[in-house]
This record gives sequence, structure tokens and C-alpha cells, in this order.
Amino acid sequence: MTGTVLLEGTGLGKSYGGVRAVDGVSLRLSAGEVLGLIGPNGAGKTTLVDLLDGAQPADQGTLSIRGRKLTGPPSRRARSGLARTFQHPHLALDLTVRENILLGAAAPALAGVGGLLRGLAAGAVRPAGKRFDAVVRQVAQALELGDLGRRCGDLTLGEQRLVEVARALAQRPSVLLLDEPFAGADAAGITAIADAVRAVRAEGCGIILVDHNVDVVASLVDRILLLRTGTVVFDGDPAECMASAEMQDVYFGTGGENVVA
Amino acid sequence: MNAVSTTRKAPPGLPGWARSAETGRVLGTLALTLGVIAWAGGDLFRQDLAFLGATYALLALGMYLPFNLAGTLSLAYSAYVAIGGYAVGLVGTKTGWPLPVAYLLGALASAALAVVLGFATRRLSGFYLAAVTMLFGVAFQSFLLDAKDITGGAVGIGSIRPLTFFGGELDRHGFIVLTLLIVWLVAVAIDRIRRSPFGVTLQSSRDVPAAVEAAGVGVPALRLVALGVGAAIASLGGGLFTTANQTIGPDTFTLSLVMLAIFMPLLGGQGSAWGAVLGAVLVVELTFNLQIFERSGSLIFGVAVLAVLLIAPRGILGYTGQAARFLRERLTRTSRTPTEGAGR
Amino acid sequence: MSAQLWVSVVQIGCFFGMVALGYYLVLEGADLFNFALGPFAMFSGLSASWLMAEQGWPLGLAAVLGIVIAAALAVLTEVALVRPIDARTDGGELPSLIAVVAVLFAVEQLAGTLFGRQLRPGRSWLPDTSLDLGPATVDGQTLILIGCTLVSFTGVWLWMRRSKYGRILRAVGGNREAARTLGMPVGRVRLVAFALAGLIVGLAGQLFSAKAGVSFQSGFGWALSGFLALVIGGTGSVWAPLVGGLLLALAQTLVPYYLGSASLDYAVLAIAILFFALRPNGLFVRKVRV
Repeated sequence: MTGTVLLEGTGLGKSYGGVRAVDGVSLRLSAGEVLGLIGPNGAGKTTLVDLLDGAQPADQGTLSIRGRKLTGPPSRRARSGLARTFQHPHLALDLTVRENILLGAAAPALAGVGGLLRGLAAGAVRPAGKRFDAVVRQVAQALELGDLGRRCGDLTLGEQRLVEVARALAQRPSVLLLDEPFAGADAAGITAIADAVRAVRAEGCGIILVDHNVDVVASLVDRILLLRTGTVVFDGDPAECMASAEMQDVYFGTGGENVVA
Repeated sequence: MNAVSTTRKAPPGLPGWARSAETGRVLGTLALTLGVIAWAGGDLFRQDLAFLGATYALLALGMYLPFNLAGTLSLAYSAYVAIGGYAVGLVGTKTGWPLPVAYLLGALASAALAVVLGFATRRLSGFYLAAVTMLFGVAFQSFLLDAKDITGGAVGIGSIRPLTFFGGELDRHGFIVLTLLIVWLVAVAIDRIRRSPFGVTLQSSRDVPAAVEAAGVGVPALRLVALGVGAAIASLGGGLFTTANQTIGPDTFTLSLVMLAIFMPLLGGQGSAWGAVLGAVLVVELTFNLQIFERSGSLIFGVAVLAVLLIAPRGILGYTGQAARFLRERLTRTSRTPTEGAGR
Repeated sequence: MSAQLWVSVVQIGCFFGMVALGYYLVLEGADLFNFALGPFAMFSGLSASWLMAEQGWPLGLAAVLGIVIAAALAVLTEVALVRPIDARTDGGELPSLIAVVAVLFAVEQLAGTLFGRQLRPGRSWLPDTSLDLGPATVDGQTLILIGCTLVSFTGVWLWMRRSKYGRILRAVGGNREAARTLGMPVGRVRLVAFALAGLIVGLAGQLFSAKAGVSFQSGFGWALSGFLALVIGGTGSVWAPLVGGLLLALAQTLVPYYLGSASLDYAVLAIAILFFALRPNGLFVRKVRV
């Protein structure tokens, strides 16, 4: 499994009114690989994730998954095997933990108008959606989520992060984009997420991990992509990256007021 | 036993009590429906109230999936209900087809229309859908008055033949039974859809559309499906009402009816599809029954809606449910305490 | 088209324009289409008419009270309903819209219960004056309506340019978040916008009810017309609602005259779909999120 290229982007670019948030980024993600995406605030990390997932259309560049072109809205890309989490958790706060994970587990069955109509009819007959229970329970256990009947609005930010990662995992993705999954999570949560990432990596999933927290990223990733003002300034081994001049320059350099959190 | 287990939320895969609560809900609402049928009996005025209530309930149930769950407000429902009614009128006077064909045609036409209107505004914020559909409602009413060859103009369509059932004509009481059972069936189905994966996705699309998109469900398509199904249900309501009255005109279903329909689930409680039905019953009682005798029913209704909006956003069923849970918890706690004391 | 018809176009157009100006103010201040403005105008006209006919009040006193009531209703809507619901739902678009629709319904029913459910005539402010223009005659009430429209629009225009709150209102309409961050009194400006809108539509309701009378159900149609006038005119300038009102009145008079009664509604729907589907940024720049 390891080695085959899953996701490949070349020359990706995005501007907002003259400001180039992402400027000609190329990247390659292999199966069973964890790619760390780091850089100071405003480096373009989240914008890059949005370009990969389709939440924002790219101005330039091409993107492919397993050699096939990856285009269109996020829903179509998700059907090609992409899943993501958001920098600020996007959970339906009135729904329970189980229901939020169920969204990820059931979404593939609801793809397209035919899937939606089937889902509508199935809902009237079998409202519990029990055929997704095994998946929901499995990812919930992997992330140690406990009581699944709790309202998501009652959870702490750290717990909400876990639910969001669980929802993405429930989609059974081949490429997983995690946008700052550790922010706000406690020590146990960080361990649970890291373990879950290792588990899906072992199954051949490719993961892109965005974070400020260089220490956590360094311990988990196989390769690092260092971004600065929308361009890649380093691409390679984590240990090398930490010692590199670019890293020194980006985080502690003369021009940067950004300090690692 | 039952009380103890219902105080906890169901973990996944614990089907026992969930199934029994579901059975209870289905049978309980069926009993209520049969009760209404018995109450209406042979009394003509009560039958009118029952038909009006059933139509309002189907209208509110039609709005439930797109509006209350997915948060997309369409105001063209008066047109959808009218389409259902005129379909019965046209099929019942100009063709020899059985009336159920008219229900089907009306539902299909309304659904198609809802999808087109939703499609035209799909990239805009929800307000534009409301504005365009409201203007459509106004234009459709003009059309009903204007296209005299098709709709009969201001007079409408009268002397529509009644529904036949296995060769025999269905009398008014029989038709009440049929109509209310249909309402019950639709409400059960909608409430089950609410809890299903489809319903969960629909509710998520209201609060976090980006997450639904990212999970692989196209939000525009999801909304269009909900709008189409809702329009079809509302249209069925218009069809049944017209069959009961054997006449339909341009003033039968107006834009102000949609205003009422928005408030029905608010009043009854948005947490369940049955809140829409309860709201419909209350609206009939306040704006129709009480309005005739007291002349202040509509005002009471308006004030009640404002009060619910301000101080009780969960509606009547929401608070009843909360009170029931609270009572149950108190009861189980008090019944448990002595046992614990004895154990010590 | 006869010259007298043109007078009627101007008269109706001025009324639609004033209601649309009310919408404009609330839209700038609170990002909300306040559909309850129509019923506020109705309440103003109907209460004055009732006070004069049933209680024997003099015209001036009844009119002033009617206008004050309309403004009070607008303020009450903002303070007691829209603001708390906005706070609870995090500024969601639909909950506030539903709240104002509920106010629309409640005010309509309150008026029906208090003042009766029949059509009441309004009374002209200048019954003995009229302006003879040769082919057409302009009655006193129309003169007053045109005058009040010009005064209202000029007043709002000056207010938004010269006064502190008026300038803040323009800034708020441009960018709410920035205005809040800069510490501007966003909440108070909202309230002023609601109150001013209530005053203007209250006056409009007074003046227009003398033309065709007023009943408790007039408000809904007025609300719809004012909204359409704003859709047509846009929000580019303070004067845009007046342009929209006059165009709408012209269309309402001309289109049925030449094309039959229903075609107006079709045309309005087609225009709206065209505007909304093709030019979402054109008219309502401020409603489109960044």
C-alpha cells in the first residue's frame, strides 16, 4: 500500500483581491503517509486545505486523486475519498454525538439525487439507521468518545474536536485533511487523535495534518511542508525541517513577528 | 421498569426500549387520530373543522422537512396547495380518470415547481428563496383569476364528482376516515424521517452546510429534494380538501394561509413532526372555530405566536416532553432513594 | 393614458416610495426586511380614522397620535422581539424574518379587534384645496402627500449626511462587524432606524388612507408593495426607494392597462427572478456575505 501516490496538486493558487493567499503550491501525498502542513498564521494553510477539499475554488493549478482529476464542489470530492475537519468545529450543536458521526457514516449512501430519494424512503421505514451503527461505534471507540447521547452543544471544545475527527473517519476516507485537530483538545484527546491517525495510516490512508503545534506534528508526521505567505519554503524530513534555515527564518527570523504557540 | 430505562438516552444498538417507545408513539397517535374521527362523527360542522385541520396539518407537514429541519423557507405553499386542489377540480370535471390520479399529478406538478423555484435561487441566501416564492404565490393567484378557460376565473371549479372507492361512492364520513388516516401516516413517516440519517443530514445542512458538503452530500440537491417532497405533501392536502368540498376557487388558498403555516410548528413544537400537526389543530380552533364565535381567536393566535417566539422557542410539545422527562426523573429518583437507604 | 392617471401614478408612487424608505432605513440599520412596516402604516391610518369617526377627535390630534403609535410599534418590535431573538439565534436570518411576520399578523389582528373589520374612510387634510393643471386636477391630499414625501426623503438624506447617528447608520450598513469593532453604538443606531422607519410609514399610512380607505388587512398589501419598490429601486442611494416606488406605481397603472390584469404579477415575478438569479450583487450588495 505505502508508496502509491494518492493526492497530487500542482501549481495551486488563490488570491483575495490582489493578495496571494496560496501561490503556486505543489504537493504530493502517498498512501500510508502523514504530511504535516505547518507555517505561521496567515501562511495559507487553511486556504490550501480549502482548495484541496473544494470549499473554495482554486484560481490556478490542477489536482488529482489516484491519477484521476479532482474537481467540483466538496461533496463530489468527498465521494472520491476525501474527508476533512475544520479549523473551527462545524458540528450541529442541537444534535447528539451519535447523530453528528452518523452524518459522516451515512453520507456516502446519500450521494446524488437517487441516493437522497432512497435515503428519504429508507428513513420512513427504518429511522434508526442501524446499518451505520457498527461504523459509528467503531470510530467513537477509537476516539474514546464515551456517551454518544450527549448534545454536541454541551461538549467542550476539545470534545467537539474529537467528534469532528470521528465524523471524518466515519466517511472511511482514503485522504484525510485535518485542520488543527489538536487545538483546544486536552492531553487525553491529543493522544486519542494521534492514535487514530496512526491507525488509519496503517490501513493505507493518506493524511494531511495542519497545525501550529510543531512538537505534536513533528512526532506524528512522515514529511513536512513548510508554508510561508502562500509558498512552500521547505518540503522534506521532519527532523531536517526543524533544523533547517528556513524553519529558523519563518518562525524566529528577522521579519516575522509570529511566535509558535 | 420502563421509566428507569427511558431516563437515559439510547446508546447506539440498544433497540429494546427505542423500539417500544416508537411503537408507543405510533399507536398513541393512531388512537388520537381515531378519536378525532369519532369526535367528528356525523356532525357537518365538526367534519368541516376536521377537513380544514387535516389540510392545514398536511400543509405544515409539507413545510416541516424543508423549513423546520433544513431551514429553507419557501412561501409558495399556497400555490402548491391550490395546484393540488385544481388538479382534483380539472380531473374531476374534465376527465373520467379516477381522482387519485389527480392527487398524483398535483403532487408531481407542485414538486417540479418547487424544485425549479429552489434551483433559480440555489446560490443565494435563504431570504431570496422566500422573496421569489412569495412573489410566485402572488403571481399564481393572479393566474388563477386570469386564466378563466382553465381555472374558471373568480368562480373557480364547482360540482366536482366525489371519490369512488372499489366501485362505490365514498360518503363524507368515510372520506374523513381516509383523510385523517393519511394525515396520520404522513406525520408518522415525516417524524421517522426526522430521526433517520436523511433527517440528521437535513438538520445538519441548516446549521453547518459546509460540513454536510464535506461529508459528501450536495447541499443544494438535498434542499431541492426536501422542497420537492414538501410541495408534494402540501399539494395532497389541497387535493383532499377539494375532494371533500367538491369545489375550489382562487380564494380557497391564499398567501395568508402560508403565514399561518409558518407558525403552526412554532406553536406546536418544532422538535417533532407532531408539533406541526398539533399547531394545525390549534390554528383551526383559534382562527376558525373561535373566530366565528368570539371574533378574537385570530388575535389570541397572533399573541400566542409572539409569546412562543419570545419565551418558549421549543413550542408546546417541546415543553410537554421536557416536563414529562422531568417528572419521570423525579419519580424514579424518589422511588430509588428508599432502596439505597435500606442498602446502607 | 389620460393626464389624470399620471397624477394617480405620482400619488401611489409617493406612498410606495415612503414605505420603501422605511424598509431602506431598517435594512441599513439591521440587515432585515421589516415586513411589519405595512401593518404599522395601516395601524396609523386605521386608528386615526376610528378616533375621528367613533370618538369625535379632531383630525390633527388623531393623525399625530396615529403616527406616534406607528413609531412606538416599530420601537417595540425592535426592543421586545427582534433584538432578543437575534441575540438568542446568533443573528440568524430566518428567525428575525419570522419574528417580523408574526408581528405583521398580530398587529393586523389587533387592529381588526380594536377598530372593527370593515373598510374605513380616511379624511383629507386639505379637502377644499385643489390645483388645476389644465388637463388634470391635483387634489389637496395628493399635494400634501407629495410634499410630505419630498420632505421625508430630503430629511433622511440630510440626516444621513449631517447627523452623527445618520453617518453611523451609513457606516453600519456598509460593514456591521467593522462598525461594532470600532465601538460604534450599533444597537442604538438600529433602534433609531426602526423608530424613524415607523414615523415615516405612519405618516404615509395617514396620507394614503384618505385615497382608498383603510382596513385591518390593508397592511399586508402595503408591505408587499413597499418591498417590491425597494427591490426595483435598489439600495444604492437614499432616493432609490422613491424611484422604485414611482416605477412600481407606473407599472401597476400601465401594465394592466395594456396587457391585462394578471400580467403585472407575472412581470414582477420575472423581474425578481432575473434580478435575484443573475445579479445577486447588484441590488442587495449588503445581504451577500463575504
